[in-house]
Amino acid sequence: MSAYTTETVDSSGRRQLMATVVFLVAAVVISYLPASTQQHVAASLRGTVLRPFVATQEAIITVGSRASETAGLRRRVDSLVAVMTAEGALVEENRRLREMLELSRKVGPTFAAATVVRAGTTGSESTFLVDVGSTEGINPNAPVISSQGLLGMIRDVRTDQAVGMDWTHPDFRASAMTADGATYGVVESRRGLFREEDRLVLDGTAFHTRLEDGTVVLTSGLGGVFPRGVPIGLVSGQASAEGGWRKSYWLRPLAEPGVATHVLIAVGDSADGSMDLSPVWPGGAVMTEEQLAARDQARRDSLNALGDSLLVMKRMIADLAPRDGLGQSGPSGARPEVTRR
Amino acid sequence: MRGSLRVWFTIVLLVFLHFLLHLGFGFGDVAPDLLTISLLLAAREVGMGTAAGIGFLFGLLLDAFSILAFGANTVAMAALGAAGARTRDLFVGDSFFFVVFYLFLGKWAKDLLHWLLVGEGLREPFFQALLVQSSLNAAYVAVVGVLAVTITNAWWESPR
Repeated sequence: MSAYTTETVDSSGRRQLMATVVFLVAAVVISYLPASTQQHVAASLRGTVLRPFVATQEAIITVGSRASETAGLRRRVDSLVAVMTAEGALVEENRRLREMLELSRKVGPTFAAATVVRAGTTGSESTFLVDVGSTEGINPNAPVISSQGLLGMIRDVRTDQAVGMDWTHPDFRASAMTADGATYGVVESRRGLFREEDRLVLDGTAFHTRLEDGTVVLTSGLGGVFPRGVPIGLVSGQASAEGGWRKSYWLRPLAEPGVATHVLIAVGDSADGSMDLSPVWPGGAVMTEEQLAARDQARRDSLNALGDSLLVMKRMIADLAPRDGLGQSGPSGARPEVTRR
Repeated sequence: MRGSLRVWFTIVLLVFLHFLLHLGFGFGDVAPDLLTISLLLAAREVGMGTAAGIGFLFGLLLDAFSILAFGANTVAMAALGAAGARTRDLFVGDSFFFVVFYLFLGKWAKDLLHWLLVGEGLREPFFQALLVQSSLNAAYVAVVGVLAVTITNAWWESPR
Protein backbone atom coordinates (compact mmCIF):
# COMPACT_ATOMS: atom_id res chain seq x y z
CA MET A 1 0.00 0.00 0.00
CA SER A 2 2.76 2.38 0.90
CA ALA A 3 4.45 1.77 -2.44
CA TYR A 4 1.19 2.60 -4.22
CA THR A 5 0.80 5.87 -2.24
CA THR A 6 4.37 6.91 -2.97
CA GLU A 7 3.85 6.24 -6.64
CA THR A 8 0.73 8.45 -6.66
CA VAL A 9 2.57 11.24 -4.93
CA ASP A 10 5.48 10.87 -7.30
CA SER A 11 3.26 10.92 -10.39
CA SER A 12 1.43 14.00 -9.06
CA GLY A 13 4.77 15.70 -8.48
CA ARG A 14 5.89 14.79 -11.97
CA ARG A 15 2.67 16.17 -13.43
CA GLN A 16 3.15 19.42 -11.53
CA LEU A 17 6.74 19.64 -12.72
CA MET A 18 5.69 18.96 -16.30
CA ALA A 19 2.95 21.61 -16.05
CA THR A 20 5.47 24.10 -14.68
CA VAL A 21 7.82 23.47 -17.58
CA VAL A 22 4.96 23.73 -20.08
CA PHE A 23 3.76 27.06 -18.70
CA LEU A 24 7.26 28.52 -18.50
CA VAL A 25 8.04 27.44 -22.05
CA ALA A 26 4.69 28.82 -23.23
CA ALA A 27 5.46 32.13 -21.50
CA VAL A 28 8.86 32.33 -23.20
CA VAL A 29 7.33 31.41 -26.57
CA ILE A 30 4.75 34.17 -26.16
CA SER A 31 7.58 36.66 -25.65
CA TYR A 32 8.98 35.77 -29.06
CA LEU A 33 5.74 35.70 -31.06
CA PRO A 34 5.41 38.21 -33.89
CA ALA A 35 4.28 41.62 -32.64
CA SER A 36 1.01 41.39 -34.57
CA THR A 37 0.11 38.09 -32.88
CA GLN A 38 1.06 39.48 -29.49
CA GLN A 39 -1.11 42.53 -30.02
CA HIS A 40 -3.96 40.32 -31.18
CA VAL A 41 -3.76 38.39 -27.89
CA ALA A 42 -3.49 41.64 -25.94
CA ALA A 43 -6.46 43.18 -27.75
CA SER A 44 -8.54 40.07 -27.08
CA LEU A 45 -7.81 40.32 -23.35
CA ARG A 46 -8.49 44.06 -23.32
CA GLY A 47 -11.76 43.51 -25.14
CA THR A 48 -13.03 40.70 -22.91
CA VAL A 49 -11.73 40.09 -19.38
CA LEU A 50 -10.35 43.58 -18.85
CA ARG A 51 -13.07 45.44 -20.73
CA PRO A 52 -15.15 46.25 -17.61
CA PHE A 53 -12.15 47.88 -15.96
CA VAL A 54 -11.25 49.90 -19.06
CA ALA A 55 -14.90 50.92 -19.37
CA THR A 56 -14.88 52.03 -15.73
CA GLN A 57 -12.03 54.44 -16.33
CA GLU A 58 -13.62 55.68 -19.55
CA ALA A 59 -16.87 56.25 -17.68
CA ILE A 60 -15.10 58.16 -14.91
CA ILE A 61 -13.37 60.41 -17.42
CA THR A 62 -16.58 60.89 -19.41
CA VAL A 63 -18.57 61.78 -16.31
CA GLY A 64 -15.90 64.29 -15.35
CA SER A 65 -15.97 65.79 -18.82
CA ARG A 66 -19.73 65.99 -18.96
CA ALA A 67 -19.85 67.66 -15.60
CA SER A 68 -17.60 70.39 -16.87
CA GLU A 69 -19.18 70.59 -20.30
CA THR A 70 -22.67 71.56 -19.27
CA ALA A 71 -23.72 74.89 -20.58
CA GLY A 72 -24.76 76.23 -17.19
CA LEU A 73 -21.43 75.38 -15.71
CA ARG A 74 -19.64 76.96 -18.63
CA ARG A 75 -21.64 80.16 -18.17
CA ARG A 76 -20.76 80.16 -14.51
CA VAL A 77 -17.10 79.57 -15.22
CA ASP A 78 -17.14 82.33 -17.81
CA SER A 79 -18.78 84.74 -15.43
CA LEU A 80 -17.11 86.73 -12.74
CA VAL A 81 -19.01 84.84 -10.06
CA ALA A 82 -17.71 81.49 -11.27
CA VAL A 83 -14.18 82.78 -11.47
CA MET A 84 -14.44 83.81 -7.83
CA THR A 85 -16.11 80.65 -6.63
CA ALA A 86 -15.08 77.74 -8.84
CA GLU A 87 -12.14 75.73 -7.59
CA GLY A 88 -9.01 74.66 -9.43
CA ALA A 89 -9.77 71.16 -10.74
CA LEU A 90 -13.05 71.98 -12.42
CA VAL A 91 -11.76 75.21 -13.91
CA GLU A 92 -8.67 73.40 -15.11
CA GLU A 93 -10.74 70.65 -16.72
CA ASN A 94 -12.96 73.24 -18.37
CA ARG A 95 -9.98 75.14 -19.66
CA ARG A 96 -8.49 72.02 -21.20
CA LEU A 97 -11.75 71.07 -22.87
CA ARG A 98 -12.24 74.55 -24.28
CA GLU A 99 -8.69 74.57 -25.60
CA MET A 100 -9.30 71.17 -27.15
CA LEU A 101 -12.53 72.40 -28.73
CA GLU A 102 -10.71 75.41 -30.10
CA LEU A 103 -7.92 73.20 -31.41
CA SER A 104 -10.44 70.80 -32.93
CA ARG A 105 -12.07 73.71 -34.76
CA LYS A 106 -8.71 74.87 -36.11
CA VAL A 107 -7.39 71.53 -37.35
CA GLY A 108 -10.70 70.52 -38.89
CA PRO A 109 -12.18 67.08 -39.57
CA THR A 110 -8.83 65.44 -40.24
CA PHE A 111 -8.45 64.72 -36.55
CA ALA A 112 -10.71 62.65 -34.30
CA ALA A 113 -11.30 63.58 -30.66
CA ALA A 114 -10.54 60.83 -28.16
CA THR A 115 -10.47 60.15 -24.44
CA VAL A 116 -7.21 58.86 -22.98
CA VAL A 117 -7.22 55.92 -20.56
CA ARG A 118 -4.09 54.81 -18.74
CA ALA A 119 -3.74 51.21 -17.61
CA GLY A 120 -1.50 51.88 -14.61
CA THR A 121 -0.21 48.30 -14.57
CA THR A 122 3.37 47.02 -14.66
CA GLY A 123 4.77 47.21 -18.17
CA SER A 124 2.21 49.72 -19.40
CA GLU A 125 4.32 52.76 -18.60
CA SER A 126 4.44 55.34 -21.40
CA THR A 127 1.45 53.80 -23.15
CA PHE A 128 -2.22 54.70 -23.16
CA LEU A 129 -5.54 53.56 -24.58
CA VAL A 130 -7.86 55.76 -26.62
CA ASP A 131 -11.55 55.14 -27.22
CA VAL A 132 -11.36 55.46 -31.01
CA GLY A 133 -10.16 52.86 -33.48
CA SER A 134 -10.21 51.78 -37.10
CA THR A 135 -13.95 52.51 -37.28
CA GLU A 136 -13.13 56.21 -36.89
CA GLY A 137 -10.32 55.95 -39.44
CA ILE A 138 -7.39 55.75 -37.04
CA ASN A 139 -4.27 54.08 -38.46
CA PRO A 140 -1.05 52.87 -36.79
CA ASN A 141 1.58 55.65 -36.40
CA ALA A 142 -1.13 58.32 -36.34
CA PRO A 143 0.09 61.34 -34.34
CA VAL A 144 -1.65 62.15 -31.08
CA ILE A 145 -1.80 65.83 -30.18
CA SER A 146 -3.09 67.76 -27.20
CA SER A 147 -3.90 71.44 -27.04
CA GLN A 148 -0.25 72.09 -26.07
CA GLY A 149 1.38 70.07 -28.81
CA LEU A 150 2.63 66.61 -29.73
CA LEU A 151 1.81 63.98 -27.11
CA GLY A 152 2.76 60.76 -28.91
CA MET A 153 1.63 58.34 -31.58
CA ILE A 154 -0.65 55.37 -32.08
CA ARG A 155 0.99 51.93 -32.15
CA ASP A 156 -1.80 49.38 -32.37
CA VAL A 157 -5.32 49.90 -33.72
CA ARG A 158 -8.42 47.79 -33.13
CA THR A 159 -12.02 48.32 -34.19
CA ASP A 160 -13.13 50.52 -31.34
CA GLN A 161 -9.93 51.34 -29.48
CA ALA A 162 -6.25 51.90 -30.05
CA VAL A 163 -3.03 51.79 -28.04
CA GLY A 164 -0.61 54.65 -28.23
CA MET A 165 2.73 55.63 -26.75
CA ASP A 166 3.60 59.05 -25.42
CA TRP A 167 6.89 60.88 -25.81
CA THR A 168 8.35 59.30 -22.66
CA HIS A 169 8.51 55.94 -24.41
CA PRO A 170 12.09 54.92 -25.32
CA ASP A 171 11.00 54.24 -28.91
CA PHE A 172 9.59 57.72 -29.47
CA ARG A 173 11.27 59.63 -32.30
CA ALA A 174 10.14 62.69 -34.22
CA SER A 175 11.81 64.66 -36.94
CA ALA A 176 11.94 68.25 -35.70
CA MET A 177 12.95 71.80 -36.55
CA THR A 178 13.03 75.18 -34.91
CA ALA A 179 10.12 77.53 -35.57
CA ASP A 180 12.18 79.59 -38.04
CA GLY A 181 13.12 76.44 -39.99
CA ALA A 182 16.84 77.12 -39.62
CA THR A 183 17.78 74.07 -37.56
CA TYR A 184 16.70 70.49 -38.04
CA GLY A 185 17.20 67.42 -35.87
CA VAL A 186 15.55 64.42 -34.32
CA VAL A 187 13.67 64.58 -31.03
CA GLU A 188 13.89 61.50 -28.86
CA SER A 189 13.05 60.51 -25.34
CA ARG A 190 15.80 60.38 -22.76
CA ARG A 191 15.23 58.49 -19.51
CA GLY A 192 15.98 60.30 -16.27
CA LEU A 193 17.21 58.60 -13.12
CA PHE A 194 13.54 58.35 -12.19
CA ARG A 195 10.52 58.46 -14.47
CA GLU A 196 9.65 61.96 -13.27
CA GLU A 197 12.92 63.12 -14.80
CA ASP A 198 12.19 61.82 -18.30
CA ARG A 199 13.01 64.50 -20.84
CA LEU A 200 13.22 65.10 -24.55
CA VAL A 201 16.41 65.71 -26.47
CA LEU A 202 16.79 67.44 -29.81
CA ASP A 203 19.67 65.49 -31.31
CA GLY A 204 21.65 65.73 -34.51
CA THR A 205 21.65 69.50 -34.95
CA ALA A 206 24.52 71.05 -36.85
CA PHE A 207 27.48 72.01 -34.65
CA HIS A 208 27.71 75.58 -35.92
CA THR A 209 24.11 76.40 -34.92
CA ARG A 210 23.30 77.73 -31.50
CA LEU A 211 19.83 77.54 -30.00
CA GLU A 212 18.81 79.88 -27.22
CA ASP A 213 16.79 78.68 -24.25
CA GLY A 214 13.07 78.96 -24.91
CA THR A 215 13.37 78.37 -28.66
CA VAL A 216 10.26 76.55 -29.88
CA VAL A 217 10.86 73.17 -31.53
CA LEU A 218 8.21 71.84 -33.89
CA THR A 219 7.70 68.72 -35.96
CA SER A 220 9.32 69.15 -39.36
CA GLY A 221 7.05 66.81 -41.32
CA LEU A 222 10.07 64.93 -42.64
CA GLY A 223 9.69 61.18 -42.58
CA GLY A 224 5.98 61.31 -43.27
CA VAL A 225 4.82 60.31 -39.79
CA PHE A 226 3.98 63.59 -38.11
CA PRO A 227 2.43 66.62 -39.80
CA ARG A 228 4.60 69.73 -39.96
CA GLY A 229 4.32 72.47 -37.36
CA VAL A 230 3.15 70.66 -34.22
CA PRO A 231 4.96 72.04 -31.14
CA ILE A 232 7.08 69.52 -29.25
CA GLY A 233 9.04 71.49 -26.68
CA LEU A 234 11.14 74.47 -25.73
CA VAL A 235 14.94 74.38 -25.75
CA SER A 236 16.25 74.18 -22.21
CA GLY A 237 20.02 74.10 -22.39
CA GLN A 238 22.65 72.21 -24.31
CA ALA A 239 22.84 68.49 -23.58
CA SER A 240 26.05 67.58 -25.38
CA ALA A 241 28.39 68.46 -28.22
CA GLU A 242 29.87 65.46 -29.93
CA GLY A 243 33.12 65.43 -31.85
CA GLY A 244 32.81 68.98 -33.04
CA TRP A 245 30.20 68.08 -35.63
CA ARG A 246 26.86 67.96 -33.87
CA LYS A 247 25.08 69.24 -30.80
CA SER A 248 22.09 68.09 -28.85
CA TYR A 249 19.78 70.17 -26.68
CA TRP A 250 17.46 69.37 -23.79
CA LEU A 251 13.82 70.15 -24.50
CA ARG A 252 11.17 71.14 -22.04
CA PRO A 253 8.12 69.18 -23.33
CA LEU A 254 4.98 71.17 -23.98
CA ALA A 255 2.45 68.35 -23.67
CA GLU A 256 2.49 66.54 -20.34
CA PRO A 257 1.27 62.95 -20.72
CA GLY A 258 0.20 62.69 -17.09
CA VAL A 259 -2.47 65.37 -17.36
CA ALA A 260 -3.74 64.60 -20.87
CA THR A 261 -7.28 63.24 -20.75
CA HIS A 262 -8.61 64.46 -24.11
CA VAL A 263 -6.57 64.39 -27.31
CA LEU A 264 -6.89 64.63 -31.07
CA ILE A 265 -5.70 61.81 -33.33
CA ALA A 266 -5.04 62.12 -37.06
CA VAL A 267 -7.57 60.29 -39.20
CA GLY A 268 -6.82 58.32 -42.34
CA ASP A 269 -3.85 59.56 -44.37
CA SER A 270 -3.93 63.03 -42.84
CA ALA A 271 -0.99 62.13 -40.65
CA ASP A 272 1.58 62.36 -43.43
CA GLY A 273 4.12 65.10 -43.46
CA SER A 274 2.45 67.05 -46.25
CA MET A 275 0.01 68.62 -43.79
CA ASP A 276 1.17 71.86 -42.20
CA LEU A 277 -0.31 72.72 -38.82
CA SER A 278 1.92 75.73 -38.18
CA PRO A 279 -1.01 78.21 -38.36
CA VAL A 280 -2.77 76.31 -35.56
CA TRP A 281 -0.05 77.26 -33.11
CA PRO A 282 1.12 80.81 -33.85
CA GLY A 283 4.22 82.01 -31.98
CA GLY A 284 2.45 83.41 -28.93
CA ALA A 285 0.19 80.39 -28.52
CA VAL A 286 2.98 77.94 -27.72
CA MET A 287 3.10 77.49 -23.96
CA THR A 288 3.93 74.77 -21.48
CA GLU A 289 1.28 73.44 -19.10
CA GLU A 290 2.87 75.46 -16.30
CA GLN A 291 2.82 78.65 -18.34
CA LEU A 292 -0.81 78.07 -19.29
CA ALA A 293 -1.77 77.45 -15.69
CA ALA A 294 0.13 80.60 -14.66
CA ARG A 295 -1.62 82.62 -17.37
CA ASP A 296 -4.97 81.26 -16.26
CA GLN A 297 -4.19 82.08 -12.65
CA ALA A 298 -3.10 85.60 -13.62
CA ARG A 299 -6.35 86.06 -15.52
CA ARG A 300 -8.35 84.90 -12.52
CA ASP A 301 -6.37 87.17 -10.20
CA SER A 302 -6.95 90.07 -12.58
CA LEU A 303 -10.68 89.42 -12.67
CA ASN A 304 -10.76 89.09 -8.90
CA ALA A 305 -8.98 92.43 -8.58
CA LEU A 306 -11.40 93.97 -11.06
CA GLY A 307 -14.31 92.58 -9.08
CA ASP A 308 -12.88 94.02 -5.85
CA SER A 309 -12.36 97.42 -7.51
CA LEU A 310 -15.93 97.43 -8.77
CA LEU A 311 -17.19 96.55 -5.32
CA VAL A 312 -15.20 99.37 -3.72
CA MET A 313 -16.44 101.85 -6.35
CA LYS A 314 -20.01 100.71 -5.80
CA ARG A 315 -19.69 101.29 -2.05
CA MET A 316 -18.14 104.71 -2.60
CA ILE A 317 -20.98 105.70 -4.93
CA ALA A 318 -23.52 104.36 -2.48
CA ASP A 319 -21.91 106.38 0.35
CA LEU A 320 -21.91 109.54 -1.75
CA ALA A 321 -25.50 109.14 -2.96
CA PRO A 322 -27.42 110.39 0.18
CA ARG A 323 -25.18 113.44 0.57
CA ASP A 324 -25.73 114.40 -3.04
CA GLY A 325 -29.47 113.98 -2.62
CA LEU A 326 -29.69 111.31 -5.29
CA GLY A 327 -32.65 109.01 -5.19
CA GLN A 328 -30.56 105.88 -4.62
CA SER A 329 -30.55 104.22 -1.21
CA GLY A 330 -27.15 103.05 0.01
CA PRO A 331 -25.95 100.54 2.51
CA SER A 332 -24.99 103.23 5.06
CA GLY A 333 -28.41 103.17 6.73
CA ALA A 334 -28.83 106.98 6.53
CA ARG A 335 -31.34 106.93 3.71
CA PRO A 336 -34.39 105.56 5.60
CA GLU A 337 -34.02 108.27 8.29
CA VAL A 338 -33.99 110.98 5.61
CA THR A 339 -37.14 109.53 4.11
CA ARG A 340 -38.97 109.57 7.47
CA ARG A 341 -38.16 113.24 8.01
CA MET B 1 -12.01 23.54 3.80
CA ARG B 2 -13.55 26.73 5.17
CA GLY B 3 -10.06 28.16 5.54
CA SER B 4 -9.23 27.24 1.96
CA LEU B 5 -12.40 28.87 0.68
CA ARG B 6 -11.49 31.99 2.60
CA VAL B 7 -8.07 32.02 0.93
CA TRP B 8 -9.55 31.64 -2.54
CA PHE B 9 -12.12 34.32 -1.85
CA THR B 10 -9.28 36.63 -0.77
CA ILE B 11 -7.29 35.78 -3.91
CA VAL B 12 -10.21 36.54 -6.24
CA LEU B 13 -11.00 39.72 -4.34
CA LEU B 14 -7.39 40.92 -4.58
CA VAL B 15 -7.30 40.26 -8.33
CA PHE B 16 -10.52 42.19 -8.81
CA LEU B 17 -9.31 45.07 -6.63
CA HIS B 18 -5.96 45.18 -8.44
CA PHE B 19 -7.53 45.85 -11.81
CA LEU B 20 -10.21 48.09 -10.37
CA LEU B 21 -7.64 50.34 -8.66
CA HIS B 22 -4.96 50.28 -11.34
CA LEU B 23 -7.08 50.17 -14.47
CA GLY B 24 -10.60 51.19 -13.47
CA PHE B 25 -9.69 54.13 -11.27
CA GLY B 26 -6.32 54.79 -12.92
CA PHE B 27 -4.41 55.06 -9.63
CA GLY B 28 -1.23 53.57 -11.16
CA ASP B 29 1.66 53.14 -8.77
CA VAL B 30 -0.28 54.67 -5.91
CA ALA B 31 -2.21 51.41 -5.62
CA PRO B 32 -0.27 48.36 -4.36
CA ASP B 33 0.49 45.36 -6.55
CA LEU B 34 -2.38 43.22 -5.31
CA LEU B 35 -2.01 40.82 -8.23
CA THR B 36 1.39 39.69 -6.98
CA ILE B 37 0.01 39.29 -3.47
CA SER B 38 -2.83 37.13 -4.76
CA LEU B 39 -0.40 35.01 -6.82
CA LEU B 40 1.85 34.50 -3.81
CA LEU B 41 -1.15 33.50 -1.71
CA ALA B 42 -2.42 31.12 -4.40
CA ALA B 43 1.03 29.60 -4.79
CA ARG B 44 0.90 28.41 -1.17
CA GLU B 45 -2.38 26.62 -1.85
CA VAL B 46 -1.67 24.65 -5.02
CA GLY B 47 1.05 22.62 -6.69
CA MET B 48 3.94 24.09 -8.61
CA GLY B 49 2.43 23.52 -12.06
CA THR B 50 -0.95 25.00 -11.12
CA ALA B 51 0.76 28.01 -9.52
CA ALA B 52 2.81 28.50 -12.69
CA GLY B 53 -0.45 28.35 -14.69
CA ILE B 54 -2.11 30.96 -12.47
CA GLY B 55 0.99 33.15 -12.81
CA PHE B 56 0.89 32.65 -16.56
CA LEU B 57 -2.71 33.91 -16.71
CA PHE B 58 -2.04 36.86 -14.40
CA GLY B 59 1.02 37.79 -16.43
CA LEU B 60 -0.94 37.69 -19.66
CA LEU B 61 -3.50 40.07 -18.18
CA LEU B 62 -0.70 42.48 -17.25
CA ASP B 63 0.90 42.15 -20.66
CA ALA B 64 -2.37 43.12 -22.34
CA PHE B 65 -1.20 46.73 -21.88
CA SER B 66 2.44 46.17 -22.73
CA ILE B 67 3.48 46.98 -26.28
CA LEU B 68 7.19 46.40 -26.52
CA ALA B 69 7.82 44.01 -23.65
CA PHE B 70 4.95 41.64 -24.26
CA GLY B 71 5.56 38.38 -22.41
CA ALA B 72 7.90 39.79 -19.75
CA ASN B 73 5.16 39.84 -17.13
CA THR B 74 3.94 36.40 -18.23
CA VAL B 75 7.34 34.78 -17.76
CA ALA B 76 7.98 36.64 -14.50
CA MET B 77 4.61 35.76 -12.99
CA ALA B 78 4.73 32.11 -14.10
CA ALA B 79 8.21 31.70 -12.61
CA LEU B 80 7.13 33.48 -9.43
CA GLY B 81 4.10 31.21 -9.09
CA ALA B 82 6.26 28.11 -9.44
CA ALA B 83 8.84 29.44 -6.98
CA GLY B 84 6.13 30.45 -4.51
CA ALA B 85 4.66 26.96 -4.57
CA ARG B 86 8.12 25.49 -4.08
CA THR B 87 8.53 27.41 -0.81
CA ARG B 88 5.77 25.27 0.67
CA ASP B 89 8.13 22.29 0.55
CA LEU B 90 10.88 24.27 2.20
CA PHE B 91 9.11 26.36 4.84
CA VAL B 92 6.11 25.72 7.06
CA GLY B 93 5.36 29.41 6.83
CA ASP B 94 3.04 29.90 9.77
CA SER B 95 4.90 32.79 11.37
CA PHE B 96 4.22 36.47 10.93
CA PHE B 97 7.78 37.21 9.82
CA PHE B 98 7.68 34.52 7.18
CA VAL B 99 4.59 36.14 5.64
CA VAL B 100 6.29 39.53 5.61
CA PHE B 101 9.50 38.23 4.03
CA TYR B 102 7.63 35.95 1.64
CA LEU B 103 5.58 38.85 0.27
CA PHE B 104 8.53 41.27 0.27
CA LEU B 105 10.92 38.91 -1.50
CA GLY B 106 8.19 37.65 -3.83
CA LYS B 107 7.41 41.15 -5.08
CA TRP B 108 11.07 42.09 -5.33
CA ALA B 109 11.89 38.88 -7.22
CA LYS B 110 9.00 39.51 -9.62
CA ASP B 111 10.29 43.03 -10.30
CA LEU B 112 13.82 41.68 -10.78
CA LEU B 113 12.63 39.10 -13.31
CA HIS B 114 10.55 41.68 -15.15
CA TRP B 115 13.49 44.09 -15.19
CA LEU B 116 15.75 41.42 -16.65
CA LEU B 117 13.21 40.39 -19.30
CA VAL B 118 12.08 43.78 -20.63
CA GLY B 119 15.35 44.39 -22.43
CA GLU B 120 18.06 46.96 -22.10
CA GLY B 121 16.35 49.69 -24.07
CA LEU B 122 13.26 49.77 -21.93
CA ARG B 123 14.54 49.31 -18.41
CA GLU B 124 15.63 51.91 -15.95
CA PRO B 125 19.03 51.78 -14.21
CA PHE B 126 19.38 48.91 -11.72
CA PHE B 127 19.87 51.13 -8.70
CA GLN B 128 16.77 53.25 -9.26
CA ALA B 129 14.55 50.49 -10.58
CA LEU B 130 15.30 47.70 -8.15
CA LEU B 131 17.15 49.03 -5.15
CA VAL B 132 14.93 52.06 -4.70
CA GLN B 133 11.57 51.67 -6.44
CA SER B 134 11.20 47.91 -6.19
CA SER B 135 12.31 47.85 -2.56
CA LEU B 136 9.72 50.48 -1.70
CA ASN B 137 7.06 48.69 -3.73
CA ALA B 138 7.97 45.38 -2.09
CA ALA B 139 7.66 46.93 1.37
CA TYR B 140 4.31 48.39 0.32
CA VAL B 141 3.17 44.99 -0.92
CA ALA B 142 4.33 43.32 2.30
CA VAL B 143 2.43 45.77 4.48
CA VAL B 144 -0.74 45.63 2.40
CA GLY B 145 -0.47 41.85 2.02
CA VAL B 146 -0.11 41.28 5.76
CA LEU B 147 -3.05 43.59 6.37
CA ALA B 148 -5.13 41.76 3.76
CA VAL B 149 -4.42 38.27 5.13
CA THR B 150 -4.91 39.49 8.69
CA ILE B 151 -8.25 41.10 7.94
CA THR B 152 -9.53 38.13 5.96
CA ASN B 153 -7.70 35.59 8.13
CA ALA B 154 -6.70 33.99 4.86
CA TRP B 155 -3.22 32.83 5.84
CA TRP B 156 -3.20 31.31 9.29
CA GLU B 157 -6.52 29.48 9.00
CA SER B 158 -5.65 27.82 5.74
CA PRO B 159 -4.70 24.12 6.06
CA ARG B 160 -1.11 23.61 4.93
